[in-house]
Amino acid sequence: MNRRILGFLLPPALIAAGCGGAGDADTVVVYTSVTQETVDAVVAGFEQANPGVSVDVFRAPTGELTARIAAEQREGGVRADVLWLTDPLSMQAYDAEGALRSWDPDGADAIDPAFRSDTFWGTRILNLVIVANPGLDPAPASWSDLAAVPGGVAIPDPGFAGSAFASLAFFALTDGYGMDFFRDLRTAGAVQVGTPGDVVTGVAEDQYAAGITLDFSARAAAEKGSPIEVIWPEPGAIALYSPIAVWDESDSAAAEDFVQHVLTEEAQAAIAATGWQPILASVPWEESGPQVTLDWTIAFDRQQELLDEYRAIFGG
Amino acid sequence: MSTAPSSAADLAGHRARRIGLAGIAVALAVVVGFPLFDLLRTAVDALDDGGGQALRSGGGAAVWNSVWTGAAATALAMVIGVAGALLTERVGGPGTGALRIGMMLPLLVPPFVTALGWTRAFGPGGLSDDTFGLTLPGLIGPAGIVVVTAVHVAPLVYAVAAAALATRARPELEWAARASGAGPVTAFAQMTGPLLTPALLGGGALAFVASVNSFGIPAVLGIPAGFPTITTRIYQDLARSAEPAAFSRVVVLATTLLIIAVAAVAAGDAATRRGIPPRPGASHEPARTGRRGRRASAAAWTYLVVAAALPVAALVLTGLTKAVGLPATPGNWTLANFGEALGSDVWGPAGRSLLLAAAAATIATVLGIVLAVVSRRGATRGFATAAALTFAVPGSALAVAVLLAWGPWLRDTLLIILLAYLAKFWALAHRTVDGSVGSLDADVIHAGRASGAGPYAVTRRILLPLLRPAVAAAWLLVFLFGLHELTMSSLLYGPGTDTLAVVTLNVQQLGDITVTSSLAVLLTVPGVLAAVPLLRRRSRR
Repeated sequence: MNRRILGFLLPPALIAAGCGGAGDADTVVVYTSVTQETVDAVVAGFEQANPGVSVDVFRAPTGELTARIAAEQREGGVRADVLWLTDPLSMQAYDAEGALRSWDPDGADAIDPAFRSDTFWGTRILNLVIVANPGLDPAPASWSDLAAVPGGVAIPDPGFAGSAFASLAFFALTDGYGMDFFRDLRTAGAVQVGTPGDVVTGVAEDQYAAGITLDFSARAAAEKGSPIEVIWPEPGAIALYSPIAVWDESDSAAAEDFVQHVLTEEAQAAIAATGWQPILASVPWEESGPQVTLDWTIAFDRQQELLDEYRAIFGG
Repeated sequence: MSTAPSSAADLAGHRARRIGLAGIAVALAVVVGFPLFDLLRTAVDALDDGGGQALRSGGGAAVWNSVWTGAAATALAMVIGVAGALLTERVGGPGTGALRIGMMLPLLVPPFVTALGWTRAFGPGGLSDDTFGLTLPGLIGPAGIVVVTAVHVAPLVYAVAAAALATRARPELEWAARASGAGPVTAFAQMTGPLLTPALLGGGALAFVASVNSFGIPAVLGIPAGFPTITTRIYQDLARSAEPAAFSRVVVLATTLLIIAVAAVAAGDAATRRGIPPRPGASHEPARTGRRGRRASAAAWTYLVVAAALPVAALVLTGLTKAVGLPATPGNWTLANFGEALGSDVWGPAGRSLLLAAAAATIATVLGIVLAVVSRRGATRGFATAAALTFAVPGSALAVAVLLAWGPWLRDTLLIILLAYLAKFWALAHRTVDGSVGSLDADVIHAGRASGAGPYAVTRRILLPLLRPAVAAAWLLVFLFGLHELTMSSLLYGPGTDTLAVVTLNVQQLGDITVTSSLAVLLTVPGVLAAVPLLRRRSRR
């Protein structure tokens, strides 16, 4: 019996041993929650521009990624050289622990100061917009109009997706909205669904007349032929940025090169080609309009408090 | 205390039994003890760091929601499972073999697929809504969670109930009762009921644990209703686990779930132990079928079509539709979503998934058999309970535990994913074979030994053929669960060890329902189709 167990354990162990170790100078280990297609495009460009350097990508949804980092921090150390996340709030947590390297990448000056710090830099912009049924009349033109949509709108669960939390933080902490924005939505019959993608599904199927979602998800569905309309609301789409940083303990010589590569116009064009708004204004991008944003450090300090207040209104 | 089911251990002899026990002890330490120890240690630290706050700020409500929906789902699953078992083992009739397979199939559909399928079939914007304008009230919310969870875990009860009816029931007692003037219902309730109850409590405990640790169903049906459970809370905290406080809440909530599960499994196992030993060599001749039998059988098939087949069919339709919101008519059909769900480079990961699932299935089945043999007496029965502990921890938290324990040595290897799979699925294999090992006929084995066969010959010539159906079922179950597994491998994989689940999850994370449905179908349908012939052989035993 034991020999049989050994027989089945050995092959995977051998395969694992053949996979090679980490930490060598010409390897960059990237931990990311950015969409696969985008990561693939950027990594391909980097490897082409830096022959001899290879990139190992660990890609997982934000929750799995941060849980893995939390476990690694407690046992054995974090293996990442570069961290490339979806929203600034998770990055803020690592920054607060002093886990991120403070340095000065080439090309960082070209980024709007609202989308960078001393330890992490925006790589692309995610816009929260309104998705609506094309037949909705009058169509909501501003965020405040959402509370007047008959039948109520769909909003993504801020506990599930970082981008959805960003919309909670923006409204809660911006003058003229506050938590009353959510109370009014709730009174008007708004429903909380899971992710921004679920909002698009619900609106496309006419369960809800409108909702708050990511422009990327809405545009992707509209391009496939879904009966929806993307509305760029007044005073602007809520813009948050997808940050990149070097893990301070990293000993990879190429880690900083990778970050600098992501900030080049070439990599930015590759990001734009996969459907995301590039961070550099110099790279062409059609699908935009006015944007509003928030100092995310303030939102970071009040995460739990905001979520608790929100859950008192919507449950969950 | 019963002594009859010790035949297999008798056969093994004392030395072999000691080796088996030592092997099980080592395996328990590796796949259960060490990871749970590290999880508990982290939870204790977390409590110091204020992780106790997890149980306030809404966490307490989540715990209560999990417990009550789990209990309600279990009760409903007991009704479905027992009714199905009575039908296939007592009423019988034509189509019984097919019904035995049908009753097991809902378990092979991953929970999030079942839940998604129900919303696509009976929810707003779903199949029944589009065709008849009908939606199932309460589907989004606790009632929906209870019903869909019950459908998913009912096969666990059915399997136990069917096995118990086949091996433990004593029809002659019922005949005696009938002869003394009792009606059929009274005869069954008073004679056979007490014989089955212990086994059913064991199956019910397993169903309860599977209910409370399910994430896919409350994630799909609970979130939109603002109805939190422990598992959705864990996932929400996991999403923000860059913050140490959120990670602390994850481990504290996972530990809470573990404690609930321990209580349920221990109670179930204790009830099983008090049970009446199975009657070796029991025959189960189904009674003749009358009109009532045919009606019952039609009801069972209706249940399976509505609860399992329609939801999967609705997913296939959604997956085939060009874009969400378009009517699912042939003019709007495309295979593009399936292509998107598969991504580009799937063959390497698919090979690794097959290897991992096969390795996990083989090892878990072997460990399950050995555990079933050595844990039939005295203190070693606790081993069986211990092996079920990691089954109770939700995948995300179990992966964290395995990473905490084995990460320093095995990080980024397939071996660490394999350990996580074994931790999760060992109990599944063990509980599938346990009944059959228990009902092995001591006389047959003694006869073999008396005729001069050594332990090896008895094992090969007598025991394995008798156990084969249960062993095949256990292997298949773990293999399919390993193939479906999404959460643990997406947290544990490393360079060159990505699995099919990782690739598909990466592609579908954008939240396009047409692509997600395609993915769900791809993960489910091939496995179910492969399972049918294997289950068929089993039902012909």
